[in-house]
Amino acid sequence: MKLRDIPIQRKIMTVILITCAIVLTLMCSAYMVFEYISFRNVTKVHVSTIAAVVASNSSAALAFDSQKDGVDILSALSEEKHIVAASLYKSDGKIFAKFPVYIQDSSVPSSPGEAGFYFSKGFLEGFQPVVQNGKILGMLYLKSDMQGLYEQLRHFAAIALFLIGSSLLIAYFLSHILQKSISQPILQLEETARRISEKGDYSVRAKKNGDDELGALTNAFNFMLSQIEVQNKEILSFNHTLERTVEERTLELVEANSVLRQQKEFVETIINSSVDIIGVFDAHLNYVMINKRVGDFDEYKRDEIVGKNILEVFPDLADSAMYKNLQMALKGEIVHDKKYKSPIVNRYFENYYIPLMNELNEVYGVLAIGHDISDIMEANEKLESVNSALVKSNQDLEQFAYIASHDLQEPLRKIQTFSQLIIHDRDNTEMVSRYLEKINSSANRMQQLIQEVLNFSRISRAEEAFVPVDLNKTIESLLIDFELLIREKKATINFSGLPVIRGIPLQLSQLFSNLMSNSLKYTERDPLITISCRDITSEELNSYPDLNQNSSYICISVEDNGIGFDPQFNEKIFSIFQRLHDKQSYSGTGIGLALCKKIVENHGGKIEGHGKVNNGSRFNVILPVR
Amino acid sequence: MKIRILLLFTFMIFSSSAQKGANSEAKIKAVFLYNFTRFVEWPARSFSSETAPFVIGIIGEDPFGAYIEQAIVGEKVNSHPIVIRRFNSIAEIEDCHILFVNLHDGGMIKQVVAHVSGKNILTVSDANNFAGWGGIIRFYSEESKVKIEINTTAAKAAQLSISSKLLSVSQIY
Repeated sequence: MKLRDIPIQRKIMTVILITCAIVLTLMCSAYMVFEYISFRNVTKVHVSTIAAVVASNSSAALAFDSQKDGVDILSALSEEKHIVAASLYKSDGKIFAKFPVYIQDSSVPSSPGEAGFYFSKGFLEGFQPVVQNGKILGMLYLKSDMQGLYEQLRHFAAIALFLIGSSLLIAYFLSHILQKSISQPILQLEETARRISEKGDYSVRAKKNGDDELGALTNAFNFMLSQIEVQNKEILSFNHTLERTVEERTLELVEANSVLRQQKEFVETIINSSVDIIGVFDAHLNYVMINKRVGDFDEYKRDEIVGKNILEVFPDLADSAMYKNLQMALKGEIVHDKKYKSPIVNRYFENYYIPLMNELNEVYGVLAIGHDISDIMEANEKLESVNSALVKSNQDLEQFAYIASHDLQEPLRKIQTFSQLIIHDRDNTEMVSRYLEKINSSANRMQQLIQEVLNFSRISRAEEAFVPVDLNKTIESLLIDFELLIREKKATINFSGLPVIRGIPLQLSQLFSNLMSNSLKYTERDPLITISCRDITSEELNSYPDLNQNSSYICISVEDNGIGFDPQFNEKIFSIFQRLHDKQSYSGTGIGLALCKKIVENHGGKIEGHGKVNNGSRFNVILPVR
Repeated sequence: MKIRILLLFTFMIFSSSAQKGANSEAKIKAVFLYNFTRFVEWPARSFSSETAPFVIGIIGEDPFGAYIEQAIVGEKVNSHPIVIRRFNSIAEIEDCHILFVNLHDGGMIKQVVAHVSGKNILTVSDANNFAGWGGIIRFYSEESKVKIEINTTAAKAAQLSISSKLLSVSQIY
């Protein structure tokens, strides 16, 4: 436990005891050192004195060469138990006597040294000149051990320990009594402070014990308490007022909040019930809000989108018109994109990008509104196709009217002419009969023409259901229809591996019937007709822009070895009443191929003619397969 | 052990005395004469002045030769320089402080003692009965060592105070 954490009573006592212990130890140590030094000095003086006395006593023995007396005098040193060795030297430096007598010469210096005593290796030793009336007669050597010093020090250490111990004991009891005068008021203060902090009762006052600093502290503490008490009351009343104010404000806030919430819900309801997509972006094009409408488009979840950057959610938008328009709107421009094809949901939108400005006219975001116009676009497209069909039908009608005015009038004019001739030659029965025959023939032709025109117009209006048709069976039944003609013309017709397609069986039969009859008609000798089928590749499909690029098509070719036609008429031959040959050479109404074209277009396909003069012709029928 | 040490001692003593012989004895006695100046006090009135010499007199044949001169050269007793005077007859004897009497005839010695009585003179001699004849200090040999015998009565009569230390190493008559 650190000193600063222990209770104050123990702290004071600890401080006193530590101080006492340190002071006593220092004092004892100092005294011991002093004692050691002074004892050394005393010892030195003592030994020097002994040496002086012995030297003085031995002067006569040395002067008169009385070794026995010298030995006797030295032997008196046995009374001094610390003297361990002594010797006398004559003036010529020779050993004269030793103490104790039995020690060897090597135990004492062989010759005298300088006068004086010194400490050496735990001994005090030295030389004392033997002088009589100023005459140096010799030298005395003395060697004393330091046992006396050590003994003294041991005694002293024991006394010092006893002193320190008893002093500390006394200091302990004294400090125990005396520390109360300091700790008691502090503890009382502490106790008072604790009572106050526990009970919050600031009316309690600390008891004052004296006029020292602690008394002043108690005074200050009590003064502080009275201040706190006053301030506490003020704070309490202030708090009370504050609480009331807060309550009022809270009530106002709750009301304001509920109004705000209603408004927010109102706005959200409007936004979410909008059929348009409404999104708000911040200045960095992160989604701030997006309405429920976006949930209609597959997997995107509103919660996951909000907060993220538009490119993080839809990386595909990086080079889209939408992204460019958003950036323009961020520059403060209102952008209206009338037709935007979303690469994400494959639908068309009419988009508005409206910059959101703060009061400083700085753009802080963009409001984007997307109106789904896919259905309108679809309807428009339908309308357009219907319109173009109408235009086409109109053209057909105009062409029909023009041709009808020529081709239908021709038999009529004949009938008029021959009927006038009958009126003129009514007596000539032979002629009349021939004219009537001509009139009849013209009327027949007229009837045939009208029949075929009716057929043609019926196909235009036909809206029968599509069913699977096996073209092999269609051709087989036509072979039976043309059996007589084939036999007559000795024709060969090859066909194989034709597919089953969806279509109107009667029209498909008419289509191939016309093509086969044309081939038989315009081939003079040994007609060879080949009907084959292959798939249209996607590269080929690219060269027919008016076909649906997403569907697959087959091409059925009807090829012959007949008279063919000039390739310049490749297109023209499909016009109604268009004829390349006169009626006398080849009979026909000029409606057949126009009918074929109409049927193929009715089936969503295309027909092409490829002719070479006197070198056969080939018709390609391109039809969708499903 | 003790016996060996004693033997060693004895050998040392014999060897030293054998080496020195009679000359060595004369030298020791010369030094002793000088050393007496350190252990004996003469009354102040025995000196005529502060710087008056301390006189060592020799009567009879001088046994010391140069030894005595060597022993005292440059030495002083207090402020008194030591000098040697040799007397050929009793009549020659003047005031001196130490008188070495190298006479062996009892009558002569008695005359000398009588001559110096009342004076502060330390008489010294080798003569056997010197103390008996009233002399103060006698040298004698014991275990081939020079020993001293002192007649304290005679010393007192001569008003000389002899150091107890000297007495402690001497034989008292």
